[in-house]
Amino acid sequence: MLIGLGFQHPLAVGLIGVGLLIVLVFLGVRVVFAAATVGLLGLVELIGWGPAAGIVGIVPHAKATTYALSVLPMFIFIGFVAFHAGMTSQLFDAARKWLGWMPGGLAEAKVFATAGFAAVSGASTATSAVFARVAIPEMLRHGYDKRLSAGVVAAGGTLATLIPPSAILVIYAIIVEESVGRLLLAGFLPGLVSALVYAAIIIVWALVKPHHAPATPREERATWPERIRALPPLLPIMAVVFIIISAIYQGWATPTEAGALGAGIIFMVAVLRDAGLKPITESLMETAKLTVMIFSLIWGVTIFVRFLGFSGLAEAFTQLVVGIDAPPMVIMLCILLAYAVLGMFMDAIGMLLLTLPVVYPAVIALGFDSIWFGIIVVKMAEICLVTPPIGLNCFVVAAVRPDISLSDVFKGISWFFVADVITIIVLLAFPGIVTWLPDLMR
Amino acid sequence: MRHASPQAHGPVARADRILSPIEDATNLIAALFVFALMCIGIAQVVMRTVFATPLTGYVDLVELSMAGMAFLGAAYTQRMGAHIRMELALGHLTGRKLWAAEALGALVGMAIIGVLTWYSAEHFWRSYELGDTTMDAEYPVWPSKLVVPVAFSIWLVRLAIQFAGAVRLLNDPARDPQGVTLMKDAAQTAREEADAASEDT
Repeated sequence: MLIGLGFQHPLAVGLIGVGLLIVLVFLGVRVVFAAATVGLLGLVELIGWGPAAGIVGIVPHAKATTYALSVLPMFIFIGFVAFHAGMTSQLFDAARKWLGWMPGGLAEAKVFATAGFAAVSGASTATSAVFARVAIPEMLRHGYDKRLSAGVVAAGGTLATLIPPSAILVIYAIIVEESVGRLLLAGFLPGLVSALVYAAIIIVWALVKPHHAPATPREERATWPERIRALPPLLPIMAVVFIIISAIYQGWATPTEAGALGAGIIFMVAVLRDAGLKPITESLMETAKLTVMIFSLIWGVTIFVRFLGFSGLAEAFTQLVVGIDAPPMVIMLCILLAYAVLGMFMDAIGMLLLTLPVVYPAVIALGFDSIWFGIIVVKMAEICLVTPPIGLNCFVVAAVRPDISLSDVFKGISWFFVADVITIIVLLAFPGIVTWLPDLMR
Repeated sequence: MRHASPQAHGPVARADRILSPIEDATNLIAALFVFALMCIGIAQVVMRTVFATPLTGYVDLVELSMAGMAFLGAAYTQRMGAHIRMELALGHLTGRKLWAAEALGALVGMAIIGVLTWYSAEHFWRSYELGDTTMDAEYPVWPSKLVVPVAFSIWLVRLAIQFAGAVRLLNDPARDPQGVTLMKDAAQTAREEADAASEDT
């Protein structure tokens, strides 16, 4: 039928394949199965059973055993160990002692403590869950509005995906064949900008509605000796950040080796804290689970991408997009809007892996920078973690605090959502914030 | 998360009980590979920067061992329901419709993993017969390639159990669920995250 409409045979097969993939994913077939099955069927149709089965049998091992991917299990392991070793409460304690004097000081402390924890973790929801337990009681005790308290915790969790080490940025780098190191560096400043915009929103909120965030009384503020004493427990986290950024920037170790060093440090902290064997084996089992999930997605989607390559669909899509008579930025906004909608229904990693093989070549053909686009897309996917209908971070906060309703959390988050939109606009207007640090590396 | 109670009878529950420890063990082996990757990474940095004698064949060793991390835990992850899928439509289904969708999902999985098990085994066999080695340190490649069909076979058995479990419930949705992953909505997932956090801090 599609051929009747004037499509070439491979292109028609490609379109049918994409359609079938959408149907299978929508029916709830696991993404790895849907992508690999459609990829195999399409290859069989285009090049025959023998060559197709040959390709499909080679892809999983060939794709999974590339050195660049070995950084993923390391970063994932760092996050789980840091989480199980309970490093979060110390971060919040230190941040509170340093920032407690500011308007909305406790909420400010929360934002920067999360930014710090993000440096050892790439997991947004876990970060929200921990801080909901650590920071919300403290804020409520000081008379903070519960919507503000819940909103800052749910929103802060999203910082984890931009600030290195971020697993999702590594995955983006692998799919589009960019340098992993450059993407990790690129996430640093936008992550910091996001944190600063959150902080600015809190200050404005606290100044406009002082009764939502009462100032900490002078006698309760931390003294300088107290502030200094709060710092040593943070040294391991600072060391991890320093090692990863300096190794990538100065090139004295590969991202995998830097990740291994970081994991070793956090692992030693967990051991010295006498955390016991259970949190460590648990971290390892969860790391293995998440690793296999991500690797499966990668080879599954690679099989699909092999098929797309034979169909010529990505090229056709690129031609179509480039041919649109509109400024590239307008097209970019449409693409981002599409991601925002998609992200409400799908996990960020799955969404990126499935769409990038087709969308990415078009974005590059429009003249956008590949690293810049990676950061923007990941930030978009993160916003979806705090917006209805899924907004998993908000569910997490509401689940930890039965006294705060889900609608309170969503209301609390609305200002931080505005903050995120501002951040995206800033990044669109000043792409230098993204590209400056990685460009220094060249 | 799975309802199959320890004393549940029937072939599906029995198969589930037999396979689970095997999956736990393979995932633990995968986890140990991750731990080893950390150790060898640290060793490599120390040897290179402090003693100026990098480990020979480090990259080869890492690449070969990645098969252990990437595949061994596949069945365990399947049992835990952690392979990504979109639950938007599934979440609204109940009873027979839900189990029909679950059966379809498991069937598609069985088909593709079945093909992959066969052809990845062929890929391994070719490499074994030719005596393939890595470029740099000339380690044999076949043990790494063997991991793929082995892990996929276990995954295939797990999918077969889930398929049987879904068909069993498709016949009679009132039965006690066995050998299937029960779906969690966002609120439930959130509660589990929250519980995990309260255990550890």
